[in-house]
Amino acid sequence: MKDSKRSLELWAFLVPALLILVVFYFLPTILTIFISFTPLRNWNIDRYARIFAGWRNYYRLFYAIQNDPSVRAVFLTTAVFVPVTLAINVLGGLALALINFFVGKRSNALINTIWLLPRMTPIAVYSLVWYYFFHGSEIGTLNSILIKLGIIHRAVSWGQEFLPYGAWSVIIFVNGLVGVSFGMIVLSSAVKSIPTEHIIAARVDGATDWQLCRRILIPQIRWHIMYVATWQLLSLLTSYAHTYLLVSWRLVDKSYGTPWALYVYELAFTGVFDQGLAAASGVFLVIVGAILGWLTLKILGFNKLVTEPRGDL
Amino acid sequence: MKKFFVFLLVLVSVLMFAKSLEEGIIEVGRNLEKNGISEVRYSVWSSGDPNSVIRVQGIVEAARRINNIWSKNNIKVKITIRETRYELDFTQMYQEFLSKQPLGTAGDFLVNSYVYIASLAEEGYLLDISKYASKYSNFMADFYTTQVDAARYKGGLYGLPQDTEARPFYIRRDIAAKVGLDLIDLDKKVAEGKFTWLDVYKWAKETVNKQASEWGLIHRRGTAHPDLMQFILAFGGTLYDSKTNKLVLDVSAVYKWLMIEHVFSKEKLLPSDMMAWDWAKQVHPAIVDGKTLFDIGGTWYWTEWQTKNYYTDPKTGQTRGLTPEEVKNWFYYTLFPAGEPGKKPVTLSQPFMWMISSKAGSQNPKYAALKETYDELAFLVVAMASSSDINAIHSIISAHLPVSQQAAKLLADEKWLTDLYNLNIDLDDSVKTVLRDIVKATVHPINAKFLTDVAYMLEYTNFPPMHPMYPKLAAIFAETVDNVLRGRMTPDKAVEFVIGKINADLDLKQNILIVGQIPADWRFGD
Repeated sequence: MKDSKRSLELWAFLVPALLILVVFYFLPTILTIFISFTPLRNWNIDRYARIFAGWRNYYRLFYAIQNDPSVRAVFLTTAVFVPVTLAINVLGGLALALINFFVGKRSNALINTIWLLPRMTPIAVYSLVWYYFFHGSEIGTLNSILIKLGIIHRAVSWGQEFLPYGAWSVIIFVNGLVGVSFGMIVLSSAVKSIPTEHIIAARVDGATDWQLCRRILIPQIRWHIMYVATWQLLSLLTSYAHTYLLVSWRLVDKSYGTPWALYVYELAFTGVFDQGLAAASGVFLVIVGAILGWLTLKILGFNKLVTEPRGDL
Repeated sequence: MKKFFVFLLVLVSVLMFAKSLEEGIIEVGRNLEKNGISEVRYSVWSSGDPNSVIRVQGIVEAARRINNIWSKNNIKVKITIRETRYELDFTQMYQEFLSKQPLGTAGDFLVNSYVYIASLAEEGYLLDISKYASKYSNFMADFYTTQVDAARYKGGLYGLPQDTEARPFYIRRDIAAKVGLDLIDLDKKVAEGKFTWLDVYKWAKETVNKQASEWGLIHRRGTAHPDLMQFILAFGGTLYDSKTNKLVLDVSAVYKWLMIEHVFSKEKLLPSDMMAWDWAKQVHPAIVDGKTLFDIGGTWYWTEWQTKNYYTDPKTGQTRGLTPEEVKNWFYYTLFPAGEPGKKPVTLSQPFMWMISSKAGSQNPKYAALKETYDELAFLVVAMASSSDINAIHSIISAHLPVSQQAAKLLADEKWLTDLYNLNIDLDDSVKTVLRDIVKATVHPINAKFLTDVAYMLEYTNFPPMHPMYPKLAAIFAETVDNVLRGRMTPDKAVEFVIGKINADLDLKQNILIVGQIPADWRFGD
C-alpha cells in the first residue's frame, strides 16, 4: 500500500516532464524520421505524406555529399563551427563567472547586463548590428575604423575574403557572443553557491586568486560546466537563426557560412521546399547530436553526477 | 469555309453567352444573399517596391466597387478586406504563402511573379480560373494576349495579369558626355544589334580610366534571377526547352555571361562584391549619384528614384528623391544590348499576376456548400481590380507597363493624369490616403511619356521559365556569379561548378538539359 502510494507520487512528478519530452522531443523526432521516407515537398502533406519513398531521400543526400563541393563545405564548416564556438561559449562563460566572483557587485551588474545584450536583442536586430559592423564596404563600421586608423587601405569583405577562415571567423564571433551569456549566468550562480567557508579557509592558507580558481572554484562547479558544455553543444548543432541572416544578406560566403542545421533549413524552407530531403538531413543531424551528446556526458562523467549520495536518507 | 463558319458560330455563341462583370457580380451577390451570407471577408498578400502598393490596394478598391454594385441593386451583402499585407521581398512572400496555404491561413489573393505559378499550380494551391475567363470573355479581351498566356500552366489559367515591365539598360547622360559616348540614336543602334556588350565594355573602361565615374557598370545584387538572365538570352542562349519541358543550361551563353562578369570585375569596372551590396544604401545611391556609366535596371527604377531619398544633394548634403526632370535629363535608356555582333538585343519581363488561392474565402460561412460561388466572387474581385483605371494608376506611379489596351490609352490622356494628380477620381478614401504622397511625386507627363517610350521593348521581351526547378537553377547562378566577381573562379571553372552542382542534385539532373560547350576561340576584354 505504502509502495503503491509512493509510486503514484513519483509518477505525479514524472508525468509532466515525460509529457513534455514526448510531445516536444520524441514525437518530432518520429515525425522527422517518417517524413524522411516520403517525397514531401512544398508543404503538400495531403498529397505526399502517404507515399513511401524508401531510402530515396537518403540516397539523394549522400549523393549530394559525395558530388557537391558546397555540401562538403557545409560539412567542414559544421565540424569547425561547433567545437570552436562551444569552446568560446564555455570558456568565455567561465571567465565571466570568475570575473564576477572577483569584481565588486556594482561592476558585476553592469558587466552582466552588457553580456546579456546579445541574448536580449531580437535576432534580426542583433544580426543587423553585426551585418553593418562587418560589411565589406566603407559603410562597414570595422572597415571604416581601420581605414581611418590607416591599418587597412581598402575595405575588406571579412566574411567573403580569406575563405574559409573569414566566413568562419564572422559566424563564430557572432554566435560565440550570444552563447557566452548563457554560460555566464549558470556558472556565476554555481560559483555563488560554493560555501564561503571553503574560500575563507583557502585564503587563510594563503591561496592566490589563481590557486583559488584552480583548486576550489572550478572543481566545485565542474558539473555545471558539464551541463553548459553539453547544452551548448546540442544547441550549436541545431542553431541557424543568426547565421541564416548573415548568409542570406551575403555578409558571409554561402558555403563556408552554412552549418548543417542551416543547410537543413534551406532545404526545407527555400528553393523547391524539399521537406523529404530536409528531413533525411535532419535525421542525420539527430544521430550525430545523439552520439556527441552521449560522448560528452561520458567524457565529463555524468554517471558520477547522478550517483545516489552516500549515507542513508 | 466550313471551318470558318464553325469558328464564327463558336465566336458568336461565346459573345452571346459571355457575361459582363456587373451581371456576374449581381448574380453572385443574389446567390450569397439567398444563402444567408451578409459579409464575405478576404485577405490579400503582395510584395514589391514601395510604389507598387496597388497590388494590395487594388483589391480594396475592387471590393468597394463590388459593394457599390450590390448596394445599387439592393443586395445586402458586402465584401470586407480583412488583411492587406504588403512587403518588399516577393520571394519571401511566396515562401510564406506556400507554407500557409495548405493550412488555410494564407492570403486569399496573392499578387506575385508569374514564375511561381508552376509550383503553386502543380501543388493545387491556386484556383484554375479558365472557366471564368471563358464566361467573362468580353472582359478578358482587353488584356494583351501574351500577358494572359504567361499565366497558363499545363492547360489551366492561374492568374490575371497585374503588371509587366521591361528592364532598360540605363546610361548616365552626363558621364557619357564626359567620355564622348554619343547617345543620339543609340537606342536604335542597340535595337539593330550594332552596339553590343563589346561596346559596353569599351565605354565602361574608358569611363573608369578617365575617372569620369567610379564604376563602369552596376547591376542587381543578391540573385541572378531575373535581371542577369538577360545575358544568356543576349548571347542567343535559352533557359527552357518546351519540347521536353526541361530547363536548359546553355554552356556557351553562360560561359560568355560569366566572362563578362569576370572581366568587368577584374578590371574594376564592376564592384567585386556587387552581389552583397545593399539596395538602399549602395546600389541605388551609386546610380543616382552618378557613380556609374551603365546600369542594368528595370522600368520601376524610374519612379523609385523619385520617391525614395537615394540621391545626396551636393548643395545641401541631404538625401532626397530626384525630380522627374532630373531623372529624364540624367538617364538615357535602351534595350539590353546584344552580347556580341550577330546576336539580338533583349529585355526580360516578369509579369506579376493576381492569383487566387484554391482555398479563397474558406474562412467564410457555408464555404463547403457555396465553394463555387465563393470561387467566382474571388475571380470577380481580381477582375474588378484589373479595371483599366486601377491598372493605369499602378503603371504611372510604379513605372510598370500596363497589361491592357484601355489602361495604355488612359496613360496617354492628359486630363485623366491631371485628375489623378489632384486625386479627383473615383477611389476609396483609404486608397487615396495610401496613394496621396506617391501620386504627388510620380504622376507627371514625363513619367507617362517614359512608359510610352519603353513600351516598344516588349517586342523584344522574354519570360523566365515557369518550371518548378527554376528557383534551384537560379540560386546556383547567383552563387556562381558571386564567386566569379570575387575572383574565386575563372569563367571556365565557374561553368564546371554549375554543371557539377546540377549533376550533384538528382532532381536537377533529371530536369535540366546541358547543351553546348565552352567556346574555344572566344575572347572578351583586352
